[in-house]
Amino acid sequence: MKSRTWTGLAFCAPLIFGLLAFTVLPVIASFWFSLCNYPILEPPSYVGTANYVELAKDDQFWHSVRNTFMYVLGAVPLGMIVGLSLALLLNQKVPGIKVFRTLFFLPTVVPLVANSVLWVRLLNPQQGLINAFLRFLHFPAGWLPGWLSDEHWALPGLVLMSLWGAGGGAILYVAALQDVPAELFEAAELDGAGPRQRFRHITIPMISPVLLFTGVMGLIGGFQEFARAFVMTKGGPWDSTLFYCLHLFNSAFTEFRLGYASAMAWVLFAIILVATWVVMRSSMKHVQYEQ
Amino acid sequence: MKIRPARIIGFLILVLFAALFTLPFLWQVSTSLKTEDQVGKAEFDLIPRAQVMDVNGSTVEVKPVERKGSMQVVEVREGPQKGTKLTVAPEKLSLRPHLEWSNFSEGFKAFPFLHMLQNTLLICVLTVCGTVLSCSLAAYGLACVPWKGREVLFWVMLATMMLPAQVTMIPLFQTFRGLGWINTILPLVVPAFCGNAFFIFMLRQFYRTIPPSLMDAARIDGAGDLRIWARVVLPLSKPALAVVAVFSFIGAWNDFLGPLLYLMDDDKYTLAIGLARLQGQYSSDWGRMMAMSVVMTLPLIVLFFLAQRTFVEGIKLGGVKG
Repeated sequence: MKSRTWTGLAFCAPLIFGLLAFTVLPVIASFWFSLCNYPILEPPSYVGTANYVELAKDDQFWHSVRNTFMYVLGAVPLGMIVGLSLALLLNQKVPGIKVFRTLFFLPTVVPLVANSVLWVRLLNPQQGLINAFLRFLHFPAGWLPGWLSDEHWALPGLVLMSLWGAGGGAILYVAALQDVPAELFEAAELDGAGPRQRFRHITIPMISPVLLFTGVMGLIGGFQEFARAFVMTKGGPWDSTLFYCLHLFNSAFTEFRLGYASAMAWVLFAIILVATWVVMRSSMKHVQYEQ
Repeated sequence: MKIRPARIIGFLILVLFAALFTLPFLWQVSTSLKTEDQVGKAEFDLIPRAQVMDVNGSTVEVKPVERKGSMQVVEVREGPQKGTKLTVAPEKLSLRPHLEWSNFSEGFKAFPFLHMLQNTLLICVLTVCGTVLSCSLAAYGLACVPWKGREVLFWVMLATMMLPAQVTMIPLFQTFRGLGWINTILPLVVPAFCGNAFFIFMLRQFYRTIPPSLMDAARIDGAGDLRIWARVVLPLSKPALAVVAVFSFIGAWNDFLGPLLYLMDDDKYTLAIGLARLQGQYSSDWGRMMAMSVVMTLPLIVLFFLAQRTFVEGIKLGGVKG
């Protein structure tokens, strides 16, 4: 087949323009800004690695890194566990399975801002549904968490909120579970493997690529968490929900330190790359890809 | 089929989980229909109720205004004595089910929600048109036209998917500011007309499964590439285009950071930032706020039920190949 360069370029022209204008050039500019002092209204002036050095000394920066890691370490594994549990429940042969699938998936359709407004209410210590439920289970009044008004409970509150969206992952896991050949289970059962062994040695390895995928995607999304904290807590109380991207946003658009915020963006990119690499690397032994 | 105890237990756990996942929705809808004094109650009650009392032999709804010692001052909300204030003993008051629709109607009046809905829909429609058009063109160029450099372009595009939006956010903001695009919808809409790496990737995979013989036949009949794209490829890729349309619509409907950065005036606001601001302003008026969150959620739930298959397809495509 002969090469038709002009036709190809014409069809891809909007894409090429978009890549250049909205990605490649901004990436270069962003890297340059990260090496500059850049108060929003004045032109950038080169300061070398000063922004990165300052980051390393900024307590609030480290605080936001810690918060974000804690959130990701809580929300991602718990989300996968809840999602997988839902998927196993949905993989049964029981009536009305489509209705259940829809019910679990619907929360992921709720717009994040509407969801945030709802959860501010659900997590209200006096009038919220969550504490009403805990009271119903006869939790002593002194044990009821203050959720978003308590610096120790605000982050767990946001993790709890994220679990309401676990149905998205469950849809993927159900699809993967249904692709596992039934003969594998039958053969294992003949060999005397119990349900727990079958789950551990057949189900988990067979769906491990999907588990890894959702884990990595959850990780990348978790590091970019922003709107939730912006709407619900503004980072408080006492910076306990100050996520990395919220700190970045504040640095750029309330303190107008564009150079500093650009440096933060590059550090974020590095963190995401390294974390993804670590997850991929450490799961290499455990994840089975079909040949 | 034999019914085993394990199966029944499994089903019961499924029902329990389903109840837990549905409860926040029920709570949201019920709060949106509660009166102000009932929203603040600590007891768990899904049924919206209002305070009522006997006035001249008929039961009327009343609104608690203030407490005076052991007595309660209430305002009559209906009947011939509407608006009058009465001082009564608290035990004279009782509750009956009542739907407070004014949370919706007052919310619409006090807050320009219809206007925000209009703004949001305009952005959504333009984003969907731009994304479907630019992505299907680019995917055709990458999948159906052989040319030097298309592999390079494809891999560069894939590489950009790794990049968090925060990296490009600041230079883009400065560029759009320089262009005078702040406080317009242009920064939110124009990039949609320049393709989206993920959707192009998805469509390219789809276009590669279209038999080349179909396109060759059209070419022999004298059709050019644009015609082949419009008459052969687009009709065949309707399910994939539906996924692009639905998910780009949801993305635009939910987008928070974009409108937050670029839209400054109230009359430009989208639902997402309007609702976020409502949450900051009237943080005590929960009935109204829940009503607005229902208004923002409902269209997406309707969309989900209309295009359920497209949703599930999209999730799987995003999951397996993305």
